[in-house]
Amino acid sequence: MKAEDLDRLQAEACDAVRAGATKDELRRIEREHLGKGGVVADILASIPSLEPAERRAVGQGANRLKQAILAAIEARENELDAEALAAERKAEGFDASLPPPALERGALHPVTRVTRELEDIFTSMGYRVLDGPEVELDYYNFEALNIPKDHPAREMYDTFWCGEGENLLLRTHTSPVQIRALQKLEPPFRAIVPGRCFRNETVDASHEHTFHQMEGLVVGEDITVGHLIGTMKTFLRELFQRDLEVRLRPGYFPFVEPGFELDARCPFCEQGCSVCKRTTWIELCPCGMVHPAVLRHGGVDPERYTGFAFGLGLSRLVMLRYRIDDIRQIMAGDVRFLEQFA
Amino acid sequence: MNISFRWLARHVDLDGLTPADVANDLTIHTAEVEGVEPFAPHLADVVVGHVVERERHPDADKLNLCRVDIGPAGSGELLQIVCGAPNVDRGQRVAVARIGTRLPGGIKLKKSKIRGVESQGMICSLRELELGDDHSGIWVLPDDVTLGVDVSTACGLDDHVIEIDNKSLTHRPDLWGHRGIAGEIAALRGRKLRPLDFGLPKTKGGDPYPVRIETEGCSRYIGLAIDGLKNGAAPAWMRHLLLAVGQRPIDLCVDLSNFVMLDLGQPNHLFDRRRLSPEGIVVRDAHEGETMATLDEVERRLGPEDMLITSGGEAVAIAGVMGGEASKVTADTTELLLEVASFHPTTVRRTSARIGLRTDASARFEKSLDPTLPAKAAAHLVNLLREIQPDVSFPRPPGDVGSWKDPACKVTLRPERVRAILGADIPDDDVATKLESLGFGVKRAKASWTVSVPSARATKDVGIEEDLIEEVGRLYGYGEIDERVLQADIVPPPRDDRRALVRTLQDRLSGAALYHEAMTHTFHSDELLAALKLADEPHLEVRNPVIEGYRSIRRSVLPSLVSLLAHNRRQRAEFRLYEIGKGYRPETANEAGEPREVHELALVHGRAADERKGTFPDGLFHHMQALVADLVACADRAMPAWERGGSDEAPSVFHPGKWIVAKGRDGEVLARVGELEPGLARDLGLEGELASEVALAEVSLDALLVAEAQPLVYRPIARFPAVKVDVAVAIAENVSAGDVAAAIEGAGKGLVDRLDLFDLYRGENLGAGRKSLAYHVSLQAADKTLGEKEIQKFLGRVERAFERLGGELRRDTAPPTG
Repeated sequence: MKAEDLDRLQAEACDAVRAGATKDELRRIEREHLGKGGVVADILASIPSLEPAERRAVGQGANRLKQAILAAIEARENELDAEALAAERKAEGFDASLPPPALERGALHPVTRVTRELEDIFTSMGYRVLDGPEVELDYYNFEALNIPKDHPAREMYDTFWCGEGENLLLRTHTSPVQIRALQKLEPPFRAIVPGRCFRNETVDASHEHTFHQMEGLVVGEDITVGHLIGTMKTFLRELFQRDLEVRLRPGYFPFVEPGFELDARCPFCEQGCSVCKRTTWIELCPCGMVHPAVLRHGGVDPERYTGFAFGLGLSRLVMLRYRIDDIRQIMAGDVRFLEQFA
Repeated sequence: MNISFRWLARHVDLDGLTPADVANDLTIHTAEVEGVEPFAPHLADVVVGHVVERERHPDADKLNLCRVDIGPAGSGELLQIVCGAPNVDRGQRVAVARIGTRLPGGIKLKKSKIRGVESQGMICSLRELELGDDHSGIWVLPDDVTLGVDVSTACGLDDHVIEIDNKSLTHRPDLWGHRGIAGEIAALRGRKLRPLDFGLPKTKGGDPYPVRIETEGCSRYIGLAIDGLKNGAAPAWMRHLLLAVGQRPIDLCVDLSNFVMLDLGQPNHLFDRRRLSPEGIVVRDAHEGETMATLDEVERRLGPEDMLITSGGEAVAIAGVMGGEASKVTADTTELLLEVASFHPTTVRRTSARIGLRTDASARFEKSLDPTLPAKAAAHLVNLLREIQPDVSFPRPPGDVGSWKDPACKVTLRPERVRAILGADIPDDDVATKLESLGFGVKRAKASWTVSVPSARATKDVGIEEDLIEEVGRLYGYGEIDERVLQADIVPPPRDDRRALVRTLQDRLSGAALYHEAMTHTFHSDELLAALKLADEPHLEVRNPVIEGYRSIRRSVLPSLVSLLAHNRRQRAEFRLYEIGKGYRPETANEAGEPREVHELALVHGRAADERKGTFPDGLFHHMQALVADLVACADRAMPAWERGGSDEAPSVFHPGKWIVAKGRDGEVLARVGELEPGLARDLGLEGELASEVALAEVSLDALLVAEAQPLVYRPIARFPAVKVDVAVAIAENVSAGDVAAAIEGAGKGLVDRLDLFDLYRGENLGAGRKSLAYHVSLQAADKTLGEKEIQKFLGRVERAFERLGGELRRDTAPPTG
């Protein structure tokens, strides 16, 4: 075989490779040229029949041909890979505006979410979290809280009475746990009590007979009104992540003396809005210095220890936080409400 | 309670203060103010007019055609107004609403034609302006009011009303009248209360008016006879102040009585003395079943716990609550008996609550009024009356009987304690000044002062040192107190296992398990209990439910969620809900009478019946079972074995044939899982389009807390590869999957690492009453890689084990893979 023939074969083969559109085609070309019965094999097979002087040159020629084809195939393969990647990267037909599927998720109740937030704030300040019964004794709900029978303040609590006598009721606030805590714990201590409370109220968008409160109680030596103010400001700073002005005004609750209503500047407006009823203040919680009679009912010496207590309206905070406009939803167990808090 | 700004000004100089200032003072230092509103704002647009001409309407006999001058308020031309009132006449000063004026009720006056004649306004009656009931004719104003100004200014009706939350005055009987509130303003602003004459006028001599008290509920009763009264309208100033605070003026007697109550806070009553017996008044407890008609014309039935004012044996008033119809003052009354008394707060409160009649009087009496106040109030009323009708006379001295003592007392105050409680450095002098401005007497000594509490503050409110500290604090202003940070040892609060458990369960359920947390009411309705066949179980009941029949306090949480099934299925094809809550068991109450409280987790998972893909492993029952086991594991507790629940002991919400139970060490129920009782599903409306597959579970948190601990411990990853082999058995229906699994485990001789049921099949090729169970089995040895020989030995043992159960190993499953 002449050198020109080899060159021609090489040129033809390499052209075919360069024109190869797929890797399968390249494999076929490789087989045809380099496989059994392929061109190169034919040339090599013809060598024994050649003159000895030609054998070497033809052998070398065949090898060069083989190497050239392999190199061309590799180059073409690289080209094809690059083209494929480029095409992949073009992402033709991909529509980023297709709607993503709805994820299935579970949800904590909004009251749980806010309760946890408050618990985390207060436990980080060394408060413990206490629990108490919802079906309560008159003694803890009223009597020991300095609201004896026939006290006019009982009018303020629309009480659900249970069973036969005057003994059992559904607690009207989380305050009975103040007495239980005082009886059980050794001062100084700090505690919060989240939980459900009950008042016999006609239900509408802003009234529920069942609602959630969070009691706070701090008892120790030298506890002052200043500590109460400081505590509430710290708590509000954590909850709303900003400083909110607070004010104490006189409020009457027989189990505190002095007693206050604590207002905070409305976190939602500056000039007045529907949340603060255009006053720029929101009523946050009743609070006060624990009444000496309450401390005594709890077995604590009021000359040695003083304390403060507060009763945060958890349901109200939940409504404020999530802008819930109908309190009835909180206890309705409607999946359309619950699933929003995922 | 409504407070009129003008009324306050009768008692204290309000110069330089706006109603808003007063409201703010009260808010910050005294009580809760609910709002400040201008009184009758609609009057600002009604002007004083002068009737220049009046003639008959050309086409209507009963209508008048008036020409009215409204002075500077008009355009200079007289207004032509058609007026139907019989009393309208030339020369009168009248109240004119012009075109465009908004009248009470929001109606805007429009130009109109009445019987063909244009009317350019309206001459108003008192009723049309909501200033009274009189609609017999127009409101004729005094002649000296200025033409064209608004009637509100002209007649002294430009007032503001400050509404105070009654609850915030529960402890302040002294603030239930304008003078008390004025006293607060005086103290806050450093002003003086105007003096009032509390001296009774001279009476004729003779025996005092006869009064006898036969009950402990009345500690003082003053009865004063008044003669020569001409009843009629109260003076305008008094009527206007009453209107401002929302009291309807009636006649002089009623208005005067109300005025004194709202002025000083002391309820009182005027009887028509001609209707009383000459023997006078006896205050006594009612006889059982005694009746009387009260002023509101309701027949009241009373008993020994109620207190009556009687005369000649007849009840004439319910003490402290309301007077009687028979002895009420009428237009022609000339002889009065004034009653001013001290009644026991509890007696009044109980009667008022029992007969469902809360009045301005009862609300005040139940706050513990000052027993020195009746004499002052009697004098005040009489003195006002004499200003209005100088001719009245007093035929005999007042009867003033009863046994009471002045509650004024002395309380020890340590100024150091004031500073210690408030956390404010208030100097001694300031402490004293503030108390004195409120009427307290202060006798200073070194560390311990003696403070005299005036009777008006001593009945209930001020009795201990802390009460005085509050007085100093609120006058000082709580806003002046610097905030302080609590100081304490840095120790974490003690761990609370129950709360930690609740958080763990909530996190797993609302997280990986895709459940929504619900909170539902503690009450079960009679209807629900009947539907759930729970009515026979002991329930604690509330006596005064919000809604009739909504009274049982739940024993368990699960029924609450069951009651929500249909509603939520209507909203969603599939839903998962849980609630962690409390139930109450009255049959196991403690000595104090508190019912046993149980803490439970309830779960429901419902979905449309057509979503059901097969009985296993897709059935909700099995999901629920897996979930409960998972919850127990994530609570680091050991899961006890499940037992098939008996059909006769199934809790009523569970399918009697499809429920299981797991019990704790002491046999108490830890958890129940089951499908919903099918009859109940129908009763709840889960049929037709709402036909559903529902799985339920309840977990006792109390049992879970004490269950055997099984903390999570790492299992080393096996050093040798596991071998997986599939095994299927065809077997009779009555052999349980549990028995089959046990057979495979036994055949594994400790090599079975995992066993997963992946198919449960019933088909004709198996024959009737037979089923096929197919498992992925993972075999694992600790010390070597298992080979084909061991697998074949295992399969041989499995085959024999199945045969012992009456089943056969199916050889048509996939070859083992490695």
